[in-house]
Amino acid sequence: MSDAPRGAPAGAPMGPRVPALDQLRALAMGVGVLFHAALAYSPWLFPYWPTASDANWAGIDALVWLPHLVRMPLFFLVSGYLAALLLERRGMGGLMRQRVRRILVPFLVAWPLVHLSVSALTGWAATEVAAPSPFLLAVREYLAMPDPPDLPLSTGHLWFLWYLLIFTVLLWVSRTLEFDAALARLGPRSLAPSAIGLPILLWPGFMLTAAPHPAPESLFPQVWALLVYGPFFALGVALHGRLDALAPLRRWLWPGAIACLALYLAFLRQLPPGPVGPTTPWAIAALEAMVAGWGTLVCLVAGLRWLDRPRPWLDRLAGSAYWTYLLHLPVVFAIQYLLLDVAWPWPVEFVLTVVATFAICLATHALLVKRTRLKRYVG
Amino acid sequence: MSFAPNLPLIRLLVVKDWQLFQKQLAAYVLAGIIALALLGLAKPWAFHLGATLLLVVLVAAACFAISTSLLVERKEQTLAFVMSLPVTPLDFTLAKLAGNLLTFGVPYLVLLGGTAMVILGTPIPDGFVVFAVLVFGHVLLAYGLSLAVAMRVESEGWNTFVMIASMVLVNPFIMVIGQIDAIAGPARTDAITWSAPALAILAAQILLFALAIAWTAWSLGRRPAFY
Repeated sequence: MSDAPRGAPAGAPMGPRVPALDQLRALAMGVGVLFHAALAYSPWLFPYWPTASDANWAGIDALVWLPHLVRMPLFFLVSGYLAALLLERRGMGGLMRQRVRRILVPFLVAWPLVHLSVSALTGWAATEVAAPSPFLLAVREYLAMPDPPDLPLSTGHLWFLWYLLIFTVLLWVSRTLEFDAALARLGPRSLAPSAIGLPILLWPGFMLTAAPHPAPESLFPQVWALLVYGPFFALGVALHGRLDALAPLRRWLWPGAIACLALYLAFLRQLPPGPVGPTTPWAIAALEAMVAGWGTLVCLVAGLRWLDRPRPWLDRLAGSAYWTYLLHLPVVFAIQYLLLDVAWPWPVEFVLTVVATFAICLATHALLVKRTRLKRYVG
Repeated sequence: MSFAPNLPLIRLLVVKDWQLFQKQLAAYVLAGIIALALLGLAKPWAFHLGATLLLVVLVAAACFAISTSLLVERKEQTLAFVMSLPVTPLDFTLAKLAGNLLTFGVPYLVLLGGTAMVILGTPIPDGFVVFAVLVFGHVLLAYGLSLAVAMRVESEGWNTFVMIASMVLVNPFIMVIGQIDAIAGPARTDAITWSAPALAILAAQILLFALAIAWTAWSLGRRPAFY
């Protein structure tokens, strides 16, 4: 989500922007749309997800939570890398101005719009859908109350922007109080051991929340989310200009991927039938930490290896990733609320939702963003 | 003697104070994020710890802003250097007041907004906002008095006394407003009620703060020379 130029000038004292990271981010965004569309067919989330359908499949839960454990950490890692890139190119003032324009302003504008659209869609679905989900039934009861209690403020799916702002502020704090210099003196010279030890940092965070972990949608910074996503942002900052430090991990790519898969299967076996919470036993949290930490590194190393040249379709996806991120959830909800009263097989509904969501997001991006002033903010 | 302030120079002096304040501000921001994260745990112990940390940050911001820009500078005889610049007492007074109000005002307003967010965004009764604003009003008044004394009185002992005494009085102040039914009663409900006693106390706090600052600016700014 940076508007930094694509390449640094020759001789400039900074590393250029890495196309692999943009493409990785675009893929992670694509996985995000699949993830949110698939949750409607998740038996685990059936009681809580607004668009939960009766036509669910147990295999969905096994399939969706693995990429979910990796994709948000990957977003934060790439964001940390880009923040460090901007810091080097434009200084702290330039980074802050860019973050205001590219994150704070879109957040403040999109937040009420997303909130209003999701509330209106959910209100409509709660009254009009003939086969409502358990969540919609609860909304129906809430709406029927003579004096319904106020709901807590929530950032919705825009929580990622909120945490990016927090981590940017913490980056400024760290630079101002010279924490980063102290850490650099104390820490290991090579990044690879730090990267391998990453799960140890993530472990307490996973213990403090439910498994699989929810979205930290509250306006209050959640301790578990700071502990889980903060290390990835910091690793991204540390990796700026030093991506070659990950080279020793290349030969561990396949063994690492297989190990992550095995650890994920062990995680699924450890879970009782359904999610656990509000906190997670240490053994399950340790497995989550290993899958998230090492799985993200596997994706990063794989991306750096195979996404090293421009691909038009991925570049197009990367160009519209921010807009798709902002828009996709209300679109997914709108389509799936309509599908609640349709008795189609779930794979058909799922594919239809995904294709329609991407089509709407890409079309509106081309129409409203690509050649307009909005591009400066969310392009 | 000219009574027209030298605005570019005042701006430079304020920027100097602001830059020297960066590390303190970073520490306050870090403490503020920790406090908000504690409040977000939604546990009684975490709420009390987070709220106490917010209050400590507020008082620390007030005391350190004055201490760094006035008391420490006085000890290091920075004024002697400033006197060698083309600065009038009016410029210096206005720069010190503006710099202090900025370095205190930014964390103060951020913490006030954060506290309002905590109250309105959690199950805490919304009516508690009035109580919290009065506590913030007390800290503002204590800060204004401490700043006025720090600018007028050179004795470090008196300055420390006024700073500590005015800030410590926040405890009895909380107890007193907790005894006033028109304030304590609505604080337990979801309605935000600005009763007459609450409005009177807030008006008195703001008026006294403004008087302290205005009197300091007027009395120091009209001096023909620094000594």
